[in-house]
Amino acid sequence: MMDVGRVCVKIAGRDAGKQCVIVDVVDERHVLIDGLTRRRKCNLMHLEPLAVVVDLKKGADHGAVVIALKSVGIEVPEVKKGTKERKKNPGRPVKQKVKHEKVAKVKKAPQVEKKEAPKKAAPVEKKVEEKKPEEAPVKKE
Amino acid sequence: MVAPRHRSRTKRRVFVRTPKGGSTLTFRIRKPSPARCPVTGEILKGVPREIPSILKNMPKSHKRPERPFGGVLSGRAMRRLFISEARAPQQQEEE
Repeated sequence: MMDVGRVCVKIAGRDAGKQCVIVDVVDERHVLIDGLTRRRKCNLMHLEPLAVVVDLKKGADHGAVVIALKSVGIEVPEVKKGTKERKKNPGRPVKQKVKHEKVAKVKKAPQVEKKEAPKKAAPVEKKVEEKKPEEAPVKKE
Repeated sequence: MVAPRHRSRTKRRVFVRTPKGGSTLTFRIRKPSPARCPVTGEILKGVPREIPSILKNMPKSHKRPERPFGGVLSGRAMRRLFISEARAPQQQEEE
């Protein structure tokens, strides 16, 4: 009954309720499983066999297990290592905190009134008067 | 003589040692009863029995086991559920 290729349902542990395939028989009580569950050794007491058998080689890798389960109608989602798919609940809207930047108070230097330099008067244009010819002095007789 | 409003047994009485060396009487809320499975009736494991003010500050992983129906059904009830679900389509085919 519990041979390589038998599709089972895990009934204990964190993966309880998920479908898996027997990949290898370790000893009388333990088998190696893979599929929707983690690839690891499992006790036969924690498995419930189904009436489905899949063509699978002993010790097949995860890729072959995915293809074999797909032929039966069980899709194994791809999970990237290092990332957890977390359900995002809408929840309460988060208020955005407004950061008020602290402006350092700078003491202003006292304003010195600039004295304006006296304005220079515009140069007066010197008018060059035409010199009249000097009249000869009139001799008095 | 305890004041009339403190004679109720819903709160438990605790004698507390004061820094001066004396002791005073204080009243504290009682812990709730342990959680039980609705199917089998046995006490659920991994579920702490604490007052709400302490329970709400505990992380989620400390309040229930990490398995389907953890903190709701016992391990035995959960196994029976998954076994019956796995055998149900096979029984329908036989019929």
